[in-house]
Amino acid sequence: MNKSVDRLSSLLFACIGIGFILESRKITQSSFGGSGSVGSDIFPFGLGLILVLLSIGLFIETFKYKEQVSEKQYFNYKKFIIILVAGVLYGLFLEDIGYVIGTFLFLLIGFQTMNRGKWITSILISGVFSVGVYYLFVGVLQGNLPGFPTW
Amino acid sequence: MDAIQYLITGFGTALQWHNILFCMVGVIIGTAVGVLPGIGPMSGVALLIPITSSLTGGLEADQAAVSAIILLCGVYYGAMYGGSTTSILLNTPGESSSVVTTLDGYQMAKQGRAGAALSISAIGSFVGGVVSIIGLVFLAGPLSELAIKFGPAEYFSLMVLGLCAISGLAGKSIIKALIMTVFGLLLATIGMDSVSGVARFTYDQPVLYQGLEFLTVAVGLFALGEVFKTIIENDNSEGQIVKFSKILPTKQDIKESTGPVLRGSVLGFLIGVLPGAGATLASFFSYSMEKKISKHPEKFGQGAIEGVAAPETANNAASGGAMIPLLTLGIPGSGTTAILMGAFIMYDITPGPLLFPEHPTIAWGLIASMFIGNLMLLILNMPMVKVFAKIIETPSKYLLPIIVAVSVFGVYAVQVSTFDLMLLFGCGIVGYFLARNDFPLAPLVLGLVLGPMIENNLRRALTGSNGDFMIFLEKPGSLIFLLLAVLWISIPIVLKMRGKKVLINEEA
Repeated sequence: MNKSVDRLSSLLFACIGIGFILESRKITQSSFGGSGSVGSDIFPFGLGLILVLLSIGLFIETFKYKEQVSEKQYFNYKKFIIILVAGVLYGLFLEDIGYVIGTFLFLLIGFQTMNRGKWITSILISGVFSVGVYYLFVGVLQGNLPGFPTW
Repeated sequence: MDAIQYLITGFGTALQWHNILFCMVGVIIGTAVGVLPGIGPMSGVALLIPITSSLTGGLEADQAAVSAIILLCGVYYGAMYGGSTTSILLNTPGESSSVVTTLDGYQMAKQGRAGAALSISAIGSFVGGVVSIIGLVFLAGPLSELAIKFGPAEYFSLMVLGLCAISGLAGKSIIKALIMTVFGLLLATIGMDSVSGVARFTYDQPVLYQGLEFLTVAVGLFALGEVFKTIIENDNSEGQIVKFSKILPTKQDIKESTGPVLRGSVLGFLIGVLPGAGATLASFFSYSMEKKISKHPEKFGQGAIEGVAAPETANNAASGGAMIPLLTLGIPGSGTTAILMGAFIMYDITPGPLLFPEHPTIAWGLIASMFIGNLMLLILNMPMVKVFAKIIETPSKYLLPIIVAVSVFGVYAVQVSTFDLMLLFGCGIVGYFLARNDFPLAPLVLGLVLGPMIENNLRRALTGSNGDFMIFLEKPGSLIFLLLAVLWISIPIVLKMRGKKVLINEEA
């Protein structure tokens, strides 16, 4: 376990808890049930309170354990960021460029990011997957997917 | 016997040709999920929910539900079979529930007895699975009759117990697990409040009125989270697969494993029924029990067949046992059953005491299909084990991007919204960082699934008592559940303070 990460996350969760406590006070009460009934604010309010208490507990816990010195690990953030950005763009523009083209491009980028080379295999798998899923879902199962760009 | 009568009708449902097909697809995918080290039963089931819902789109509501759930449960117990394959052949467990199998399984493989180890684990899994389903058949009725008498106060406390149980065993730090539980419950409050119709935490964003979709969050946290982890930490270790030719065990092997298989079935089933404890704990316990009662404990770790038979039996028995609290009480005891519960709810079916009287076709059809599925798995895993062993060689270069693409497709096919796709990637990143820092994800999902129901019961109980919280302590049933919940959380803490090692359930 990592002390600074744990402290930071305990602060973050405490903030989330406080946020829920404050915001739940603003929930407008419906007239349902009249006075004395249990409103829609009590559950998030109570949970927010518990979350704050637990975060304090986590913060205290970080003083008790010894920092574990983890061996240096090689982190591959570059591949991750490329795939993440490609994925987010794929999601954002799915409705504009259509499923088949979007999926084909995303998979091609993904395969090549993971491991360069073998372009023909990559193109084949991406093509078969994107066309195959589209055909099965829209053609056979009659589902709804944006197929191709409308322009 | 009522139960037998219902079971026969259940077979009527499960033996319809399309349900046999769904069952087969489920167990095959499950075995593959079990074999592939990158994806576990939780992400496997989560990924398949949207796909099954599009597959069953043409069927009637009840039939669609039973077919989909048969498939998803098949993935769940199928993964328990598959997990052993990599443990034995590669010394890399496919699932956390097969970690102990590596100890003796890989040794056996190195001695040229891989075939025997694989077939014994398939036979053990089958026996364990069948024993637990028989238990399910006979316990389901009485338990749901008991649960049907519960009022809202009892239900609230029972759910609190379920949440505490899963948090108490879910990770290195109980506080972190509890934070995840509460965070999940809080996320569940976003959206339209079902009792009063008041919008909460939506800030006039139309996409938030329906709340955060469970499916999107689960697929993001588990499937994408695991993909990101594999990419970042680059742990696509490529080991050498042990070659083997003979599949059948010898008479001596069978004789030696009969006892462990029978004991593992019973122990695994009992552990599975307990909320919070799951397949992983069951496999650990049965392994150490066999080692303790064995006349030759020194053989363990050197390729003892008992050390393969017992844990592989127990983890399957536990996965069957875990279905009991889910189906009869509506309380999932593990991450995977929480996701299954989400699938039930997607089909407008609430697991719980009313499931058996109101939807007997679904409940008993599912139970009957589990018998069929286990039989299929036995056949798949004995002669076909070599085919599945090949799956290990799937290059992660192609696998990982395809998992992302399947997640995107699944979420979009069900939700048809770009917002959900962004939420999916957001949850993937959050899931990776949480898991990396020992925040367990299963309690979060459980909180998200149980949130609306807990809140409903809390408010109904409080409305009945005019806002007096003492009602939860005055009702004896509710008091017992709350006391158990407190014990469940405090006992591991006390044990830890005394410096004892507490077994935790990494996930199952």
